[in-house]
Amino acid sequence: MADKNAHLEVSGLTKRFGGLVAVKDMAFSIEAGKILGLIGPNGSGKSTVMKLIMGIERPDAGSVRINGTEVAGWPSHRIARLGAGIVFQHSRPLHRQTVLENIKLALLPDKLTRLLADPETDTKARAIAARVGLSAVLGRRPATLPFADLRKIEIAKAIARDPQVLLIDEPFAGLTSKETAAFSDLICELRDDGRAVLLVDHNVKSVARLVDRVLAMYVGERIAEGTADEVMRNETVRRVYLGGSIETAARPESSFRDVTTPFLEVKNVSVHYGKAQALDDVSIHVHAGEFVSVVGLNGAGKTTLFNTISGFLPYAGDIRREGASLRGFTAATIARKGIVQCPEGRELFVDMTVRENLDLGGQHLSPAEGAQQIAWLFDLFPILRDRQKQAAGTLSGGEQQMLTIARALMMKPKLLILDEPTLGLAPVILEQLSKALERLRQTTPITVLLGEQNVTFALPHADRVYVLEHARIVWEGEPARFAADVGTGYL
Amino acid sequence: MLFWQILIDGFAISSLYALGATGFALIFGVSGVLNLSHGALMVAAVVAAWAAGNDLHVGPYAGALIGVAVGFVASMITYFLIVRPLQQSRKIREEEKEIFILTATLLWGIMLQELIAYFYTNNAKTVAPIVEGVVRIVGVRTPANEIFTAVVCWLVIGILWLLVNRTRAGKAVLAASMNPRGVTLLGVELSQVYIAVWAIYGVLVGVAGVLLGMFLGVSSYSVGPLTASAFSIVVLGGLGSVSGALIAAYVVGYLETLTAYLISPAYRTIPALLLLVAVMYISPRGLLGRR
Amino acid sequence: MGSLSTTRVLLIGLVAVALASFLPLGVSGYILGLLTIAYYFGVFAMAWDLLFGFAGEVNFGPTFLIGTGAYTAGILDNLYQPPIWICVAAGALAAVAGGVVLALPALRVRGPYFGLTTLVAVLMLQNFVVVDASLTGGEIGLTVPDVITISDAKNYEIALWFMAISGAILFALSRSPVGLILQASGQDAVQAGALGFNVTKHKLTAFVISAFFSGLAGALLVFYLGSASVGTFIDITVGVQIIIAVVIGGRRTILGAVLGAIFIIAMSEALRPVGDLANFIVFAMALFVVLTFPNGFFGLLTRSKETS
Repeated sequence: MADKNAHLEVSGLTKRFGGLVAVKDMAFSIEAGKILGLIGPNGSGKSTVMKLIMGIERPDAGSVRINGTEVAGWPSHRIARLGAGIVFQHSRPLHRQTVLENIKLALLPDKLTRLLADPETDTKARAIAARVGLSAVLGRRPATLPFADLRKIEIAKAIARDPQVLLIDEPFAGLTSKETAAFSDLICELRDDGRAVLLVDHNVKSVARLVDRVLAMYVGERIAEGTADEVMRNETVRRVYLGGSIETAARPESSFRDVTTPFLEVKNVSVHYGKAQALDDVSIHVHAGEFVSVVGLNGAGKTTLFNTISGFLPYAGDIRREGASLRGFTAATIARKGIVQCPEGRELFVDMTVRENLDLGGQHLSPAEGAQQIAWLFDLFPILRDRQKQAAGTLSGGEQQMLTIARALMMKPKLLILDEPTLGLAPVILEQLSKALERLRQTTPITVLLGEQNVTFALPHADRVYVLEHARIVWEGEPARFAADVGTGYL
Repeated sequence: MLFWQILIDGFAISSLYALGATGFALIFGVSGVLNLSHGALMVAAVVAAWAAGNDLHVGPYAGALIGVAVGFVASMITYFLIVRPLQQSRKIREEEKEIFILTATLLWGIMLQELIAYFYTNNAKTVAPIVEGVVRIVGVRTPANEIFTAVVCWLVIGILWLLVNRTRAGKAVLAASMNPRGVTLLGVELSQVYIAVWAIYGVLVGVAGVLLGMFLGVSSYSVGPLTASAFSIVVLGGLGSVSGALIAAYVVGYLETLTAYLISPAYRTIPALLLLVAVMYISPRGLLGRR
Repeated sequence: MGSLSTTRVLLIGLVAVALASFLPLGVSGYILGLLTIAYYFGVFAMAWDLLFGFAGEVNFGPTFLIGTGAYTAGILDNLYQPPIWICVAAGALAAVAGGVVLALPALRVRGPYFGLTTLVAVLMLQNFVVVDASLTGGEIGLTVPDVITISDAKNYEIALWFMAISGAILFALSRSPVGLILQASGQDAVQAGALGFNVTKHKLTAFVISAFFSGLAGALLVFYLGSASVGTFIDITVGVQIIIAVVIGGRRTILGAVLGAIFIIAMSEALRPVGDLANFIVFAMALFVVLTFPNGFFGLLTRSKETS
């Protein structure tokens, strides 16, 4: 049972990774028996906040008080013993141990002298397993278990630790609605015990029922705090998530020449990451010259979809380029076939100059073609011309994104895949990027497949939009109808 | 007089170390493998050159070429038979692959050592030098061979530098060492890059080995110390930094030469080891490390 | 084997050891001698498995610990001729000290650096022994004036029961709550920390235990052989043999290490007619095992249970 005085207080919390400020001046407090939802898109810093509280990362500045004790800078095992517990976003059981042993581990004290097994540990572990619903699989190893059971092991470990402050990272990702309900109930029970709970998620909707208050984050800073409703209606939050008013410039599907055999066809594709289903029977198509946006929140499956198309992942289903199947080709071959991806991580050669990065993109071209291509790209992205002798790693986020796109364009792709290009970029940069995309769309016959959670960015250029949610395509249509059909429920 | 002798001798041996270490660093930087059979590959090349001269009675040039060829073949065997199957194995968890590869290359290196000792005994062997005679530099009598060694080493390093920094293929290799996924996205087959790198490594190791054989001679006992000095140098210079390895090679080479001349040849490897220990305690990433 | 309880395994082990202790009645002194060495080697391997399999640290230089123990015991005997058990105890303590000295830099670094640190330790010890020849006998080796006993049978029994007791302790440790914490520290240090375990403390303990048994076995072996040399106690080749004994037998089983050790020693002996090629063949076999069934013999046995 947790102390009525369970309390988590964070103030001025700051963390830098090199030049990047991941968390800036974060402050909030959670009292016993309350749940705070920390919401933010990918890259907003919310997972880093959790790691800072738990001692997995050291803060550069700020204070973390657990039950009145200052713990900032402590190693994680001391913070855990003081009364904090964390449920990680990705299940991390010990693979060589059984479920029962995994739970027992969480019950053990940090002593070197425990040589004999305590029968009480065994009883307690079984009781906890029963509470979360794992009794049937106690003797099995994690590799043989379904996804939901792995999440249950994580919760069981947290319960075993009996923490006063509990941090939970994306509790419902990958769960069915029934499983989500069961987990919600468990979390409420834990809260009712008198613990202070911090829930981190990227979607207010999924945690709205559970939380007492919500704090929204963007690019490392807090942008709003209040009840779930208040935050969802907050102007800044809506702008960051949904964007302001959206103008669209869609061309009808019939206007593309390859109506019968689209340039890219993805049919009934399913992908598994270990136990979790990352893509479930997904079908999309893209016509030559078309600009298609795939809109979806974190974890929806956009990156998986793109990596599957690019040949990095095994899949069930059919992917065709101009009618010919892409199955069996290596990722590099698919790139040479004209399907070029700008991944979320950009994957630039940070120690090489801008010019060298671009040259590498153009290595399959003749020197003359390459020079021509570079000239065109410098026209499209003038800032790259100014920075061409600089090392790619020294560029700002926005410039790096432009370089990534330019480098991909050096390959003269038939289909350009952009995965979350706006991630972590300030609104001013988004404008520049948007303009460049617009020029690209208007002056070249390029085909673009864009994956974004930022709807303001995704819609204006799109001819068609897909919505990807929890590994499935849930909506397809014109951008103009998007706001009406999907918009409000999106947050 | 002694000063110049140390300077010249040290330069020659450091150049040799630099060549070997460059190869070692290249394989680690691009392929991610710490090849603990490095010394064995070098010795294999030397012994082949020696055997060619001894059994087949070919001239020193032909012998050297055979040595380099054997170094190349041995490197390819190492990659295709040992490193690649492990990298692609489904039976080993990802986190454990690095350790398995380390162990397997160590095993393979010792196997080669035993094989060489069995067929050719563990007596020291020298290879007939291509360049003979003695030259006077600043009043010091120096075997022309030493100069030849230093020159060839730097020639090869220079060619390698040109390859990597001035050719398209070379830049792709450099890029692959920074970001393998990045080059795949640009349409470059990583598998081809790896083969190219191990091939280059094989030639480097072959040349370094043959030169060493002409300069000092080797025996099957040299396998361990050669591997040890290569990875000491690479760790000192910072794993993954080729320029660091070059500098570290000269630090180690001169430390050894100074020790051999001023204290005793028996102690020559110790100061470098002490330096390595100190560096590991203080700054495990080496002097210029990137990883 | 994972499904057999600790007590049951220990009982089976006890029976096996009891049976083995009757061997001197019918078996030649030559084979007894071979098995004696195999048993000590088995302790080396088990100690290594504790560190690797559980704490997750690959030690490329187990011979640093073994050699420190062996040479300390041997040198002490040469200099002052104290009772053997004092030399052995000193050897074990020296190895523990060596283990702590090795652990400090090693635990601060990750991945390949750790393995390299251990390799460097072995090279340093080797250099020291060779260079300080007046004390250590240099490359020729050290002879000690005392041995435990001349009787083959008695040496065999001592080695057998030493291995049995060491094995029982190490195995029980691996199955105990402390062993579970060690496994967590090795598999997922971040998770272990978040569950409240001081990973460094536990890994250091694993080092100390591994060092203790390595040094103890090394010291005892000196007084069996009556000599110590770089080739038997320090050389990298010996370290590699230990590693492959564990890999062939099955990592993380402790007992598999013993099987692997016996296999390696027996194989090397069986291949003696081939001369110097014997080592090559044994290593080639090990390479084959690494490439085809990296979980070793025990791994093959338990594999059917894992996939159910």
